[in-house]
Order: sequence, then structure tokens, then C-alpha cells
Amino acid sequence: MKTLQTQEGRKNLRNSVIALIIAVIFLFPIYWLVQISFKSDVETFGKELSYFPREFTIDPWLVNLTDPTFLVSLRNSFINGFLTMGITLLLGVPAAYGMGRYKVPGGNVFLLTFLVAQMLPASLTLTPMYLIFNGLGLLGTHFAAPIAIASASIPFAIVTLRPYFKSVPVALDEAARLDGCGSLRAFVSIMIPAVKTGIITIVVISFLNGWNDLIFSMTFNVGAEMRPLTANIYKFQNAYGTKWNCIMAYGTILVIPVVLLFIFLQKYIVGGLTAGAVKD
Amino acid sequence: MRKRLAVIGALAMALSLCATGASAEEATEITLWHYFDASADSEAIVEWVDEYNSIQSDIHITATYVSREELMNQYTIGAISGELPDIGMVDSPDMASYISLGVFEDITDYLEAWGETDSFYSGPLSSCMDSDGNLYGLPQNSNCLCLAINMDLLEAAGYDHAPTSLDELSEMVAATTNADDSVYGFAMCCISTEEGTFQLLPWLCATNDGESANVDDLTAASAVKGLSTLGDFVANGYMSKECVNWTQADVWNQFAAGKAAFAEVGTWHLAQTDAIGDAFNYEIVLLPTGDEGTSTSTIGGENFGVCTGAADVEACVEFLEWLCSQEKEAEWAVTAGKIPTRSDSEPEYTYEVENFEVFVDEMNYALARGPHAEWPTISEAIYTAAQSVFVDGTDAADALATAMETITPIVEADPIPEM
Amino acid sequence: MNKVSLSMAGKRKREAYCFILPAFIYMILVLGYPLVYNVVLSFKNVNVKNLTKGGSVFVGFQNYIDLFQNPTFLLVLKNTFVFTIACLVFQFTIGFAFALFFSQKFKLSGPIRGMILVSYMMPMSVTGLLGKNIFANAGLINDLLSKIGIAGPEWLVNTSTSMIAVIIMNCWVGIPFNMLLLVSGLTNIPGDVYESASIDGATWMQRFRYITLPLMKGSILSVLMLGFIYTFRAFDLMYIMTAGGPLNSTDVLGTYSYTLSFTQFEFSKGSAVAMVLFACLFIVGLFYLRLLSKEDD
Repeated sequence: MKTLQTQEGRKNLRNSVIALIIAVIFLFPIYWLVQISFKSDVETFGKELSYFPREFTIDPWLVNLTDPTFLVSLRNSFINGFLTMGITLLLGVPAAYGMGRYKVPGGNVFLLTFLVAQMLPASLTLTPMYLIFNGLGLLGTHFAAPIAIASASIPFAIVTLRPYFKSVPVALDEAARLDGCGSLRAFVSIMIPAVKTGIITIVVISFLNGWNDLIFSMTFNVGAEMRPLTANIYKFQNAYGTKWNCIMAYGTILVIPVVLLFIFLQKYIVGGLTAGAVKD
Repeated sequence: MRKRLAVIGALAMALSLCATGASAEEATEITLWHYFDASADSEAIVEWVDEYNSIQSDIHITATYVSREELMNQYTIGAISGELPDIGMVDSPDMASYISLGVFEDITDYLEAWGETDSFYSGPLSSCMDSDGNLYGLPQNSNCLCLAINMDLLEAAGYDHAPTSLDELSEMVAATTNADDSVYGFAMCCISTEEGTFQLLPWLCATNDGESANVDDLTAASAVKGLSTLGDFVANGYMSKECVNWTQADVWNQFAAGKAAFAEVGTWHLAQTDAIGDAFNYEIVLLPTGDEGTSTSTIGGENFGVCTGAADVEACVEFLEWLCSQEKEAEWAVTAGKIPTRSDSEPEYTYEVENFEVFVDEMNYALARGPHAEWPTISEAIYTAAQSVFVDGTDAADALATAMETITPIVEADPIPEM
Repeated sequence: MNKVSLSMAGKRKREAYCFILPAFIYMILVLGYPLVYNVVLSFKNVNVKNLTKGGSVFVGFQNYIDLFQNPTFLLVLKNTFVFTIACLVFQFTIGFAFALFFSQKFKLSGPIRGMILVSYMMPMSVTGLLGKNIFANAGLINDLLSKIGIAGPEWLVNTSTSMIAVIIMNCWVGIPFNMLLLVSGLTNIPGDVYESASIDGATWMQRFRYITLPLMKGSILSVLMLGFIYTFRAFDLMYIMTAGGPLNSTDVLGTYSYTLSFTQFEFSKGSAVAMVLFACLFIVGLFYLRLLSKEDD
């Protein structure tokens, strides 16, 4: 019994060391980004590469944070993220369920349509989408960009969630039906919890799709009051050239809210893991 | 407490409504899109628009910043959808394409009635014309390229004067390169965008052995000499190969950081010389692109046009006439670090006075790009030729011959107008 | 009895449509027109000279014929496949290995798995800029290489190495993405399946081969399929990191069609390139469906 425990302990230690090495490799570029954002202009363009700021400065951050439209842009980025997430969950999850649990004639046609839908490169859907949105009066509203972005994240939700719904044991929703649940209630109260980990993945990724979008938000909304954070990147690039410290501070600002959001959700992912998704 | 705040808020709102209400009755709302993003010019355009709003009551203009990439996409999509601002800013070499796409209104008649177009330099003005000579806008500012020299590095290499010919420049570039200190003799931008072409053209159109060529004749010996000299800079390690990824701002950053002895820089960089401070002595001189005493440069700058379907074309043109008036042109040049587009404007620069004079002088040798509706394709052929010399070591003559395979059919169908 | 089950089946069908149709209609509304628009445009000769002045005509397959005789396009097509296949291979294998590794229970597995996802969360535009910085001649990568005695290449300047740099940056984003999707697939495998296998004395390899892989087949297929789509239509990374250069060495179908349409104003040629991109993905999509329906049977 004792040897088994030390064996476990050694394995635990070995895995932790490997995990740490992986973390260092993957996070070093992030560290690089953050440390440049605290360097002065002179040091950024210095002749020698330094691995940490010799002279610590927060000026590059102030350049970004004191931008008069910063708060508005922050709000717009959140709106983009949450609206995209909302549309994706509302339409994508039921569709994934319908395609995973039911055998319908023409099911493959549906699946193919969803796949095909995200195959057009964004650069080329821009003009025709602009024409449609213009006709519908959506341009210059907060809905235009999320509607376009969701057209890529809905298929994503369907393709990733479909196998999850498929793998839920039939016994589960049969039991629900025997209990007198309607199909909608069975879907909401039985099936969604059963594929919780998959849903959280979709939540995270669809939010990120909206948050990180550049081209749609840029094209459909021109005014400063509608501009998300991502759209400011060109402003910095054009005004300063590749002024790395400012750009990296800006990059860090873009990532922080997302990381916070994710840390919050990570708890649920780990929770879902230990609970065991499906028990029969 | 909350109630009182609400009352104050309502009052403030009512007041602001009154304030705008007076003129709102007749003033037409006009949108203006620009991509001024340096602190000086982005603030100035807003102030100027406010000033114009206060001196007349026909139109009320709102200036909106739209980044350059975004603005170009908006024009392209706007050409198809018809959704355009009323007044728009555009980079001068791109204007011909957008005129052809129908983005801008023909305002020739209004400008003829105004009668001041003769005061504009022909290069900048020509970029607002279609092939029939009709005007679609006015050039608002111009700039060109000169040579910036780090005098400390030059003196350290044993020279006491600036180069005046391509051969002399080559010699000095070689002497000032110091690989141990990671200092390059020369820095320029050869990125695969219009910026690259802008910086390459002076060397391709230079006067060598008494001959010079234009964009429609790049296989000429003078053009080949220009490009092969730059190619040698790269091959010998006098210029970083990274110039194929550098923007002009990157080149300036390299120069300001003391990492290049010579750099090809633009007029607007004079507004950014505080980045150098006291780090080293610098000088600005005419670009020594060819034979002793000759120079060539490229004209850059921004135009403003009235977009198709504008709410009140006549009033918009009046704004352009005000924006590009003799007095305002001079004022803008000082504020934004540019050169006026009119010969009768005399800017009184308050900083870098002598260096601005060099740029103004260089304008005499600066060439316009196009105007040509297919300029972007011509431009791509040019920077691709240079990149293949710099990156792949292709022979300059072969690279330019390849470029002409693209350019010749275009200019044969629609020749580039003679200046 | 028969009648009852028939109406039951009909009801189930109706239910299924209620779940699927809203999303389906949404997609048709948002993307049906752009697709038709592009197809039509790709068979015409719309460019800067005739967009508004009129005179554009249908030219049949001429745009496509021109493309396949254009060496730049053939290079771009090759680049796209090289980029996609290299990225898929590395992202998927490493991502899967990470997913298996981090699905073990040990102290740091949760937090570190979460942490390495940060690279996936960055906007591609920032990733592209970061790539431009660390792969510069005197950037981080070459500095690290020189510390172990290797003289690094001029990554983004040479046509032979620029694509490698772009692939590395993309994998840095793609590995966590693959891991995330595969981890959630792994957690949906009931734990007791493994327990009973352990009792039967199955080795790790056997468990992986006979339990994990078959149960994960659906997830794996969808991850590969999505990975292919997203990588094949890449745009932002190259646009920011290299602008497709030097000399088109990192130009892919996405950036090339964008340049043609929005910089060169060759609208029809740009559409034709986009349609080629679309056609390649369509074929892969059909292949994916075949595999799926095999699995369903």
C-alpha cells in the first residue's frame, strides 16, 4: 500500500514538472508581451535585447488608458462578445441537439449547410453582408457585427456539440419522457446539464469570437462611439509605427478581461470534470 | 439627492438643445471622414471643422476618424452600396482608383468658378483629376522624401559633408556600416504596400549618366542602376534585409535609435524629431539618387474630395475651398509638419525651419505617382521587383523586366499623363 | 399500434425541425446571399474600370482559367496547403497529447491547463504583432538560439523561413484550441469504462487504442474538420505579421483574395480566388460527412 502511495506521489511530481515546462514554453511569449509594455521607448529600440525592463515605466499603459474613447470601446467589446455568445447559444445549441439526437431526413444537408456557411472567407462576405445589413437598417447598430460573427460561431457550436449530445445515453431522456417531461423541458433540464462541459466551451469560444473580431466591427460601424477595442490597433500602428511598448500594453489590455472571465469559468470546467459528466 | 441630479441633468439637456437648436433649423448635417492619427493633425482637424461650423450656417460638419485601412475598405464597399460620407480624405496615389470607382463627385465647375486652382502645384493637383482633366477634389497637404543623416556616425567614418551623388552615398553607406555595433549604413522601407513603392521610386526614376526613366520605362539603364545599387546595399550588409518588412515609421524608429547612419525619411518626420533629442546630430539633405548634383523624390500627400451622393455638394465644395485656401494651407503645413499644396502659401514654420526648407526645395524634384486608376497594380509590380532583388538576389535588370511585363500592357491601354 | 408509432415518428420529426430550423434559416439569411453574390461576381469581369461605368460582362470560366495559369496564384495555393497541413499535424498531435496529459489527475493539471489557453484567447492581430516582434532578426527567438550556439535565420525576411515562423505562431494559438476541444471530449467518456478496463489488465496503449480513440471519434473528426476550415481560410495572422510577404511567400488564399478585391480592385478575380478556397473546403466537408455517416451506421 505504501509503495503504491509513493508511486502515485512520484507520478504526481513528474507530471507537475512536465506541466510546468509546458507552461513556461507557452507563457513565455505572453511574458514577453507584458514586459515590453513596461519599457521606455529608448529601451524598446535599444541595441541589446533585454529580458525585463531596466527602467520600469507605465507610460505605454497611460497612452492607451487615457484615450478618450477607451471606456466606450471597452463597453463595445463586451457588447460584441455577449451578443455573439447569446445568438450562438440560442440558435446553435438547440440545433446541435436536434442534429445529435434525432434522425431527420436531410440531416446531412443541414450539416453540410452549416459547415459550408463558415467556409467563405470573411473578407469576401463583407461587401454582400454590408448590402444586406444596409437594407435592414442594421448598420451603425450594435447588432450588425455580432450577427455576422455568429454566422461563424453557430456552425462551430453545432459541429462541436453534436457528438456530445449523441454520446448522452438514450436512457436519460427516455426516463425524462416517462416522467412526463415535454421535449423542450427534457432538453433544457436534462440534456443541457448533461453536456455542460461542451456548452461552457461554446460559451468561451463564442464570446472570444465576438471580443476578438476586427474586420466586421470595423466595416459595419465606423463611428468612434461604436468602435470596439480591437479596432484601435490600426490607430496605434499607423500613428507610432511599430512602437512595441504601446502596442504590447494595448495587447495586454485586450487580453486581461478575457483571462478574468476565463478564470471564472475555469472553475466550472474543473467542476464538470470531477462531477463526471454522465452517469448511468 | 438623486432627484436633484435628475433635474440638473434635464436642465443641461434642455440647454444643450437650445444651443444647437438655433442653427439646426437650416444647417445640413455633413459627415467628414479622415485618417489623421498623429496627435497634432488629429486635434487640428476637429478644431478646424468647429471653426468652420461657427463661421457659416449652411452646413454643420462632423469629423470622424476612420483608420486608413478601414477608410479604403469603406470607399470600396461604398462604391457598390452607395453608402459614403459627404466629404472624404484619401491618399493621393489612390484617388485615381476611387474616382474611377465613382466614389467622388466631379466638382470641376464649382472649382472653376472659384478660380484659384491655378495656384496649386501641378503634381498634387493632378492626383485629383481623371484622365480627362476633370477635378474631383483638392490636395490638402503634400510631402516628399529626403535623406536624413546621423552626422555623428558620418564624422566617425571620416567624412565632414553630406553626399551629393549616388556614388558618394554608396561610398559613405559602406564606410558608416558597423556590424559589431549593429549599425547599418542605410535604412529605407521596401514593404509590400504602397509605402514601399513610394520610397523606391526616387531611386528608379533617378538621373544616371544623364538619363532618367519614368514608371513606363523601368528597364532603362538608369533605373537598373538605381535598383542594383540598393540591391548591393542589402547584399553587402549595408542595409538590413528587414527593410522588406519595415514601414516608414519603422525606418524612422531605426534612424532615431541610432541604428542607421542614413535613412530615407518623409516631411512629416520633422514633427517627430523629439524622439532623437540630443542623442546625436542629424541633418536633412536632398536625396542623392543619381548623378552629381541631381535629386529625385516622390510626392505624397492627402486629398479631400466630395463623395458621390453628398447632401449638399456646393456647400461641401465651399468647405474644401476654405480648407485649401492660401492662408489655411500655410497654417496646416506648420501644424502637421507638411508642405502646402499651393505655391502662394508661405508657411512660417516654428521648428526645424531649415530642414523644412530642404523638403520644400526637394518638392521641385519630386514626381507624382500616376495618376492612374490601376496604380495599385503598377505599384505591386514595383515593390515586388525590389523585394526579389533584396530577398532572392535576383538581378535588378531581370526583376525590372518582369515588372514591366505587368506595367506595359496597363500603360499602353491607359497612358500615365505627362506632367 | 402502427398508427400510433407513425404519428409518434411524425411528431419527433417536427420536434427535430423545431430545434434545427431557426439556426438553419439564420445561416441561409446571413450567408446565402453572399455566396450567390460571389459566384456571380466570379464569372464576370468587374474591376476598377467598369464597376460604376458599366460594361462588365459575363466571361464564363475565364477568371478561373487565368488563375490557374498565374504563377503567383499557384504559389499561393501551395502555401495555403503547406500552411494548413503543417498546422493541422502539429496542432492536433500536440494538442491531443496535452489533452490526454492534462486529463490525468495531478495537482497542477487544472490551473496550467487553464493558463496555456491564454495564447488562444489573444486577438489574432496582437498575435501577429507579437510574431513580428519575436521573429525579427534581433528578436527573442534568435537571441535564445544564439544562447545555445545557433545562428538563427532571418526568419521573416527569407522566403524559405517566413512560412515556418507563421506556422509556429499559428500552432502556438492552435495547440491550446485543439486541447480545449479534446479535453471536453475526454471528460465526456464515463470514468467507469476505464475502471473496468484496468481491472481487465489493459495497458495504457491498449486503453488508448480500444477505448479512448473509438469513443472520441466524433470529437476528433469535428476538431480536425474545424481545424482544417479555420486554418485553410487564415487571414489575420499573415495580414499583420508579414502582409503575405516577402515575395508572396506567406500569401494564402484568404490574403490573396483580399488583396485582389480591396487593394487592386480586381473584384471578379478576388471572388474567383475566394471560390477556389470555398471549393477546396467544400470537398473536405463532403469527405467529413461521409466519415460521419459511416460512423452513424
